Amino acid sequence: MLSSDEKLVERCIQGDDTAWEQIVTSYTRRIYNLGYRYTNRRDEAEDLTQEILIRVYQNLKSFRADAGTFQNWILKVGRNLIIDHYRQTRRFQQAAGTEELETMNLKDEKVPSPERTVERDEAARFLREGLEALSPELKEAIILRDIEGMAYLEIAGLLGIPEGTVKSRINRGRLELAKLLSKRRAQLGWQM
Amino acid sequence: MKCPQFEERLSEYMDRTLPASEMGQVAEHLHECANCSALLEEMRSILLRCRSFPSYEPEIALIERVLLRTTGRPRTRTFRELLDQYFLRPLLTPRFAAGAVLTLMFIGLTFGLFRDRISSATALLSPRELFSQMDRGAQALYSRGLKVYDKKNEWQAQFTFIKNNMLNRLGLMIDQLDVPVEGKKKSGEPRQQQEKNPSGKSSLLLLPT
Ligand SMILES: [Zn+2]
Repeated sequence: MLSSDEKLVERCIQGDDTAWEQIVTSYTRRIYNLGYRYTNRRDEAEDLTQEILIRVYQNLKSFRADAGTFQNWILKVGRNLIIDHYRQTRRFQQAAGTEELETMNLKDEKVPSPERTVERDEAARFLREGLEALSPELKEAIILRDIEGMAYLEIAGLLGIPEGTVKSRINRGRLELAKLLSKRRAQLGWQM
Repeated sequence: MKCPQFEERLSEYMDRTLPASEMGQVAEHLHECANCSALLEEMRSILLRCRSFPSYEPEIALIERVLLRTTGRPRTRTFRELLDQYFLRPLLTPRFAAGAVLTLMFIGLTFGLFRDRISSATALLSPRELFSQMDRGAQALYSRGLKVYDKKNEWQAQFTFIKNNMLNRLGLMIDQLDVPVEGKKKSGEPRQQQEKNPSGKSSLLLLPT
């Protein structure tokens, strides 16, 4: 029994443009937000979304329904492109830690002002600054598990790593984030 | 249990996936260690914040671009968008806006200038005022009717007068006309005869009588 996504993919392959439009309409938001969470920039998230969906369209025929859901497949294509982009545009930062705290203000200033005005949620900004200070692996684990709400097994499939590794990354990520944010809050004298 | 062991198990403790025996040890450590219980609280609030992390709506133009670069077919417009494109947007042009502003100003001015009249006009619409208006109207109509009736009588009287007058004159004229015609034909003789005759007759008549 094929899910509705898989039926749409079949129709796409048969040349039904409206089926592809349905896929694009239902996945654009998800992919865009994923890209935004990794890059922290709207323009980059937009470019990435476009690239990812074009890549998906070009590779629709290589999707195998028996190897997993279409959603997992599309997320894998997306995540791979995001990571490629990340490696190209940023120096791969190793082991983040409390040393990063001092540079958090500078990082915030890298975000162009229109995006900052859009961001009214102070708590979300605080959290994102903390995430930015984590290493890419730990940050990714938190994004996928705690923000995207994916299951451990799904994350393991997406990243191609054992479930145990996923769990330990998530735990380390949460711990570092908690220590970072409580220290940051103490510095600012906030009660959040 | 020491702090590092506790930290290792923190996520599993929060997810409640830790074996029962270890759950007890963690709870014990939490009870003793203020740092670790503060850490647990911090992690709980982070998880809450992660779950309510904002999700952004990408611009429609993004979907448009993707479609144009894949199938090359533009996006199907929703009914609302079509309405907006063909009806609302033309209405919201600067020219229309200027027109609307001017119209509003005109209406405002008109209302301001004629406010008294408008209010008296609206006051006229009250039932009591309406009734008295109708009453007044009926009265006026009745008096006018009376006047018309009077006028009619007057005219009628005048007409009768004129008619009679005319007839009289006509009769007189006929009388006057008659006389000369007869007189001309039979000259003054018959008249004289007539005049003479009655008298003569009378005399004659008188005579035998
Ligand atoms: Zn402790």
